[in-house]
Parts: sequence; structure tokens; C-alpha cells
Amino acid sequence: MRDILRMIVVLTVIGAVSGLTLAAVKQLTAGPIEYQTVKFVKEPAVKKVLTGYDNDPILDRKKIQAGTDAQGRPVELTVFPAIKGDETFAVAVEGSGKGFHGQIGVMVGVSKEGKILDIGITSHSETPGIGSRVTEPSYTDRYKSLPAKKGVAVDGISGATYSSKGVVAAVNEAVGLVEKFREEIF
Amino acid sequence: MARLQKEFTKGFWEMIPPFRLVLGLCPTLAVTTSGINGLGMGLATTFVLVFSNLFVSLLRRFIPSQVRIASFIVIIASFVVIVELVMQAYFYPLFKILGIFIPLIVVNCIILGRAEAFASKNGPVMSLADGLGIGLGFTISLTVLGLIREFLGAGTLLEIPVMWEGYEPFAFMLKPPGAFVALGILLAFMNLITQIQARKGG
Repeated sequence: MRDILRMIVVLTVIGAVSGLTLAAVKQLTAGPIEYQTVKFVKEPAVKKVLTGYDNDPILDRKKIQAGTDAQGRPVELTVFPAIKGDETFAVAVEGSGKGFHGQIGVMVGVSKEGKILDIGITSHSETPGIGSRVTEPSYTDRYKSLPAKKGVAVDGISGATYSSKGVVAAVNEAVGLVEKFREEIF
Repeated sequence: MARLQKEFTKGFWEMIPPFRLVLGLCPTLAVTTSGINGLGMGLATTFVLVFSNLFVSLLRRFIPSQVRIASFIVIIASFVVIVELVMQAYFYPLFKILGIFIPLIVVNCIILGRAEAFASKNGPVMSLADGLGIGLGFTISLTVLGLIREFLGAGTLLEIPVMWEGYEPFAFMLKPPGAFVALGILLAFMNLITQIQARKGG
């Protein structure tokens, strides 16, 4: 009987101490982990669409409450501001649209004057060599300096109609979000 | 003092994992596609090994022998999670490459093996020396194996190109069979050296 009690006590104590330690470590690393994830996944696209800033858009990222989703959970919109001096002169916002194979994520750089600076594809699973051509500069350059208003339209790539449509939808979602939350962003 | 030194240095040759212990082959074969990956995996394992040895040794009188394996695994798993979180927070690219093999350190037989065979029978100082020695030995093995595979398979050393222009790399060396071949050749070399030493000695 004493043996069993001892086993229970020892295992409980070890489990509890380990659980507490891990909870503490998890809390301590939560901030850096989020930063690293955002940095390595989004930074290449952010760097492509924004130029001429002297801040770190990843570090200065802002979160805006953008309503709720179908289940009523709050949706957060992350914006990456490009700041020179004290002025936010452009932002990068990510939108997504349905391509030929699932969602296409597109980072869109929008200037304060309301023009699209550039776009960069953050994630896609389009057919390599066909739909994936939307990631090439020959296509993404077509969005440069278009007005950042809903209803952006560019010529698609022949043979990759759905992928092109997905990118257009994603860009429209992003510029729509910038329009909607203009006050909070700039 | 002599014993402490012996426990520390045995991990570098006599009991160098994975060659002499032939434990922990899963990460050895899977992640050693480059020197840096091998080094990262080795250091992560060393950290877990040193701390699990220390704590197992400190707690060895309190843990009833019937539940010792469960207790060891909880201790090891805790340190593995710590390593995983720290790596994700500060060494994200390495974390991405090593991926699933970091949580799998929990089931690395070297660590449980040292806890069971050494730390649960020896004091904390000896256990620390043992963990550090075996861990560094494992790190050296993985780094050497990684460097050989990187050199032949990609023509680079620590990501710096070292081969002449137009060198056609053996892509085979970066694939799983290449890991077995490299491991086998290294083991053969080690056995050769041991044999020569034995002949000289006797």
C-alpha cells in the first residue's frame, strides 16, 4: 500500500513540476515565436511590395479587429506599415482568393495616395509551370500603380484563368480591407 | 578526478554514439544532409541529454523503481519541449529543417539509455560528465557525417562551395541510402583504426 502511494505521489509531483515549467517556457517564448513565424513566412513578400522605408515593418505590424467570421470568432487583420520619418506612407496587407487548387495568398502594397505599389504571392498550390506563372514578375508587375480601389482588374494569363482570377480576388480583398480600415491604418 | 575524466571522454571514442552504441540511428540517418543540420541536431540532443541525466541522477533516490521509466520519459519530454520552443523562437530556419525530428528526440534511445544505464546509478557530477561527453560525441558524429554527405552530395562545406566549377554532385548522398553508405564507410574506418591499435598494443 505504501509503495503504491509513493508511486502516485512521485509521478504526480514530477508531472506537475514539468507542466508548470513548460507553461512558463511557452509563455516566455510566445512573443519571439510569433515574430519569427511572421518574419520567415511574410517578410520576403513584404520586402518585395514595400520599398524606401526605414523601419522594420514586421516588428511594427499592427493588428486591427476586422469583424467576426461565420462562427462569430473575432478576425484580426495584420497590416505591415512602411514608415519613413514619422509618416506611414504605405502598408502591406494580405488577401486571399480561391485559385485552381485552394487558396492563393497575396501580399499587396498600397501607398497612402491609394495606389498599388506591387504584389507578392505568399502562398499558393497552383499547378507548377501553368498556374504558378502568376507568381512571376511578368504577371505581378501588371498590378503596379493601379488605383487601390475595389474592382481591380488585369488581363489574366491564358491557360491559367482560374489562378489569375484567384489573384485578382485576393488583391481586391486586400485593397478592400485597406479602404475599409483606412482611418486606423494611416 | 580520473574517473570524472574517464566518464567524460568515453563519449568521444570508446562509446561514441551512434557508431559504438549503435543507438539513435533515426536522427543520424535522417537529418545529416549538411554539416549545419548535423551540428544543430547534435547540440539539441546534447542539451536534453545533459539535463535529463542531471535530473534523473538528482531524483534517483525518490523515484520508485516500478515507475522509473515513466518518470524518466516525463523528464526527457519536458526538456525536449523546451528545446523545441527555444529553437522555434530563436533559430527558426533550423527548426523548420529539423522539423519532426526535434520532438522525436524524446524517443532517442541514447537519452533513455544513459538515464537508465548511468544516471540512475551514479551521482549528479558523474552523470553530468557522462551526458556532456556522450552528447558531444553524438554532435561530432552527426557533424562529420553531415559534412561528408554535404561535400559529396552538394559540393559544399558549411554551405560554402568548395569543389571546382562544373563538379557534378552525387545527389545520391543526400538521399536516405547515401546516409547508410556514409555511415557504413565511417564505421569501417573506425574499425580499421581500432584493429591497427589493437595490433600495435598486443
